[in-house]
Amino acid sequence: MNFLHRLLAVTHLAFIGILVLLAYPAAADEYPSRPITVIVPFAAGGPTDVVARIVTASMAQTLGQKMLIENIVGAGGTTAATRAARAANDGYTLIVGHMGTHAAAVPLYSRLPYDPQTDFAPISPLAGTPIMILARKDFPAKDLQEFIAYVKANTEKLNAAHAGVGSVSHASGELLNSVLGIRPTGVPFNGTGPAMDALVSGQVDYMCDQIVNAVPPVRSGTIKAYAVATPARNAALPQVPTTTEAGLPSFQVQAWNGIFAPKGTPPAVIATLNAAAAKALGDEAVRNRLLDLGSVIPPPAERTPEALATLVKSEIARWTPVLTQLH
Amino acid sequence: MADTVGRLPEQTRRAARNGSGALAVLLLALAPQLVHVLWAAVSPLYRVPIGNPAQIAVDYATALGTALPAWLGATFGTVPSPPLPSAVLLALIYCYPLIALALLTLMVRPRGPQDYYGGIVLIAIAGLALWASSDLEGMQGFSVGAGTVPRLCGVLLMGLGAGIVAVGLFSEGPALARYAWRGPLFVSLAILGFALAIRPLGLVISAFASFMVAALGTPETRWRETTVVGIALTAGCSLLFPYALGLPLPLLPRFLLP
Amino acid sequence: MVELFSNLALGFQVALSPINLLLCLIGALVGTLVGVLPGVGTVATVAMLLPITFGLPPVGALIMLAGIYYGAQYGGSTTSILINIPGEATSVVTTLDGFQMAKQGRAGPALAIAAIGSFFAGCVATVLIAMLGAPLTQLAQKFGPAEYFSLMVLGLIFAVVLAKGSLLKAIAMIVMGLLLSMVGSDVITGASRMAFDIPELADGLGFATVAMGVFGFAEIIRNLDAGADIDRELVQQKITGLMPTKQDLIESAPAILRGTMLGSILGILPGGGAVIASFAAYTFEKKIARDPSRFGRGAIEGVAAPESANNAAAQTSFIPLLTLGIPPNAVMALMVGAMTLHGIVPGPQVMQKQPELVWGMIASMWIGNLMLLVINLPLVGIWVRLLRVPYRLMFPAIVIFCAIGIYSINNSPLDVVLAGAFGLLGYWLIKHDFEPAPLLLGMVLGPLMEENLRRALLISRGDASVFFTRPLSAGLMAAAALLLVLAVLPSLRKKRREVFGESEN
Repeated sequence: MNFLHRLLAVTHLAFIGILVLLAYPAAADEYPSRPITVIVPFAAGGPTDVVARIVTASMAQTLGQKMLIENIVGAGGTTAATRAARAANDGYTLIVGHMGTHAAAVPLYSRLPYDPQTDFAPISPLAGTPIMILARKDFPAKDLQEFIAYVKANTEKLNAAHAGVGSVSHASGELLNSVLGIRPTGVPFNGTGPAMDALVSGQVDYMCDQIVNAVPPVRSGTIKAYAVATPARNAALPQVPTTTEAGLPSFQVQAWNGIFAPKGTPPAVIATLNAAAAKALGDEAVRNRLLDLGSVIPPPAERTPEALATLVKSEIARWTPVLTQLH
Repeated sequence: MADTVGRLPEQTRRAARNGSGALAVLLLALAPQLVHVLWAAVSPLYRVPIGNPAQIAVDYATALGTALPAWLGATFGTVPSPPLPSAVLLALIYCYPLIALALLTLMVRPRGPQDYYGGIVLIAIAGLALWASSDLEGMQGFSVGAGTVPRLCGVLLMGLGAGIVAVGLFSEGPALARYAWRGPLFVSLAILGFALAIRPLGLVISAFASFMVAALGTPETRWRETTVVGIALTAGCSLLFPYALGLPLPLLPRFLLP
Repeated sequence: MVELFSNLALGFQVALSPINLLLCLIGALVGTLVGVLPGVGTVATVAMLLPITFGLPPVGALIMLAGIYYGAQYGGSTTSILINIPGEATSVVTTLDGFQMAKQGRAGPALAIAAIGSFFAGCVATVLIAMLGAPLTQLAQKFGPAEYFSLMVLGLIFAVVLAKGSLLKAIAMIVMGLLLSMVGSDVITGASRMAFDIPELADGLGFATVAMGVFGFAEIIRNLDAGADIDRELVQQKITGLMPTKQDLIESAPAILRGTMLGSILGILPGGGAVIASFAAYTFEKKIARDPSRFGRGAIEGVAAPESANNAAAQTSFIPLLTLGIPPNAVMALMVGAMTLHGIVPGPQVMQKQPELVWGMIASMWIGNLMLLVINLPLVGIWVRLLRVPYRLMFPAIVIFCAIGIYSINNSPLDVVLAGAFGLLGYWLIKHDFEPAPLLLGMVLGPLMEENLRRALLISRGDASVFFTRPLSAGLMAAAALLLVLAVLPSLRKKRREVFGESEN
């Protein structure tokens, strides 16, 4: 009996020992010692996903570990952000948050299960996508000034499309409406594709959307682009003026992306990740691919955790009044 | 809801037909409340307590008792009253019509029980949908609100359900089919077990366990054969889903991973 | 015409390179696997495999992804026919006659005709894409919210027509499907509807969850009923030929032709095009059949027509992507993602600037379809042999495959539980003689119908006459009305006969 007991105890100890051995290397080595999961809150192939994949591929080389992209979709990206906020804060689960999940969601979702400012440790801003003002191809305005005059005069008749409540095109469209002081009829679609389709076929009058989605129809002339809402013109559509040039300087907006860790992640880990992200954004090959997509890359001085924290704070302050009045 | 209904015919078979039929409909009428109270009772086990079950039960009972006067007061009263609470609405929209149907069931002998009880459950589903969409906005000027179409469909389904009840009441139709218990029970257990086990225990353990549990669903199972096939299939799945298709499924229990 | 041939020649030159042939084969194989595994969806798989294609040249990547997409259309019919589980919304109707054929021991011919029909449809649709891409796009552009709403109304009438039993019950099932489709966030206002504050329900009930439940799990549970085992023994003894007979081929040929036509046209419409195509093809066959009562009891046309239609639609849904650069469905959106990752901006310019890409892909579609036919016909024998596996081993295997499949869609255990609950609901539906197919169609078409109704009314400022004043919409509405009359008349006539004649049951 005694012998059996001892045998059992030894087996137990051995088992625990094996478990500890299995767990040990991970704890002992320097960060990162195993692959890092990066959550992208949108479907693979979308603008945020593409930016995330290009940047993390370069970061992975710097860090010497794989970075696995996990696309978690749902509820405007807030499902993914909720999961990331609750993930272990060991630096092995990160999230690419964006304008929607880390700013516009605050006024849009009354019961948001996370706080973008306190539940995350910002790492660095990534490339953003400029927003454009687009209209159907036979829209009776030749430039932005005429567009403004026309929409102000004909608000009652106009239909403004967007890609669904909480989408980038919805938020930026509402911002445009509030800058112009108009309330047209908003026609929601289920995603960017159907909304763009309706604009191309002239079912709706105008919309705001990210440049990546607008490039194909603008280049083929099936829709009109009046302006791009960034300080500088974009290489993907160089003929389109900026809002500042065209006379609406107050409309400045881009679908920014940033990489975050759950709160409480060790500062050394954040610093490692930030250095890798900043290096990736400075890499010539990465820059070229991002610029091809029409992305805007933050300047070196803004590739810091502090810059991302400031951005989140200012964006929440900016979207809250615009999107709250809708309810 | 489906399992509450699943028990319906066996009861009808054993006792005097209409008494037990009426009892089953009454049970259906109170099913949402019962489910809520039961869930409140077990939710602390999952560390997500949703309230004191006794308190919830009392609230529902009060709502059932006072729903009619509250509604009359809100509709015809001179004093503007606050919107009716959800429990009162549930009683009005869902429970009262079904309780009325339970009384009807007690008094009649449907000629087509299959249609009669089928229609009643459709009415119950419609009532539940009407209640669940009662908090949504209706027409907003020319724009159709979020609640308009669900309520429209709810009313339509209730009408269709009533039509099917009428058919079952007045025209000759098939009797209730026999329900088995063994298959539904073990297949459901296998599915539930898989859902609970996949995250903490991983694919290998949960797939094998639920294979074995599902196999309990038929008396034909030969255990040695089933175990061998179960092991082979688990091995196959462990290669197929994570590797061939690249799906991110955990293979092993969480505590075994580094 | 000359240009077309030179373009196609270029395309074949690209597609026939060894590496592209290999990628096409891999895509077709993975697609078949995805289609055959219940629950595992095309969207999820393409999303998972997207990163793998980064290392490939762009043409190869697109050829492989396209292969997965139409390979899944071939595979999807397999589970519908063998075990009554539709893997995709487009193969729901295939269960109606396909599974009946399997029960009669004719699973082989059903599977073979599905593959042959799909192949024919794939060939025709490939030529259509090459020749008529631009004019067909023009047609699709005429479809606004009003037209979509009318099309969805027509689609729901199809669901009434395909019902076997009581009309009242079929309509009730459609309405229940509509209600189920409304669970979750409202697209127009963002409001949460009938979700009881459960976060997993915020995005609504998944098609796969409900389909696995009411078809898959319910069928298993029903088969475990005492007495059902005798039926199963019979099925296993009855298995006859593997390949369709001459008679089968003669019967299906016109159905394949008509299904291909309907599918090619409806496939261009974004959203529900392919689903409606399969239902429309089935309904059409049933309506023009000399003996409509054969449908639902193992008519081979009931497999041939919808399978041809859904494959044709799957192919022509590439047209909006190629001509406009706008993805018409979730898989196409992923293809756009794949293109942008390779630095290609999709749209009409691609045809001019990178003809080898577009024509290579078009040519590979034809090659892929040929490969799929070659893969699938020999597989028929294997699938049919699977039917001989004793049911006591088969059903637990189906249970875990379905459970893994559903879990893998969103990595959500609640989805698995919900599918189980829908299984019990489906069991109850069977016991009360309600058909699950109209329920699923209501669920798939419901959101499209409601959204477009509301969108159309927003654009027209509440004027409901748009549905009847826009010519295309009015035409669709008229077709729906006509079909409804055709659907109701026979059942009224039957009622009269039942009332006046002696009771048959």
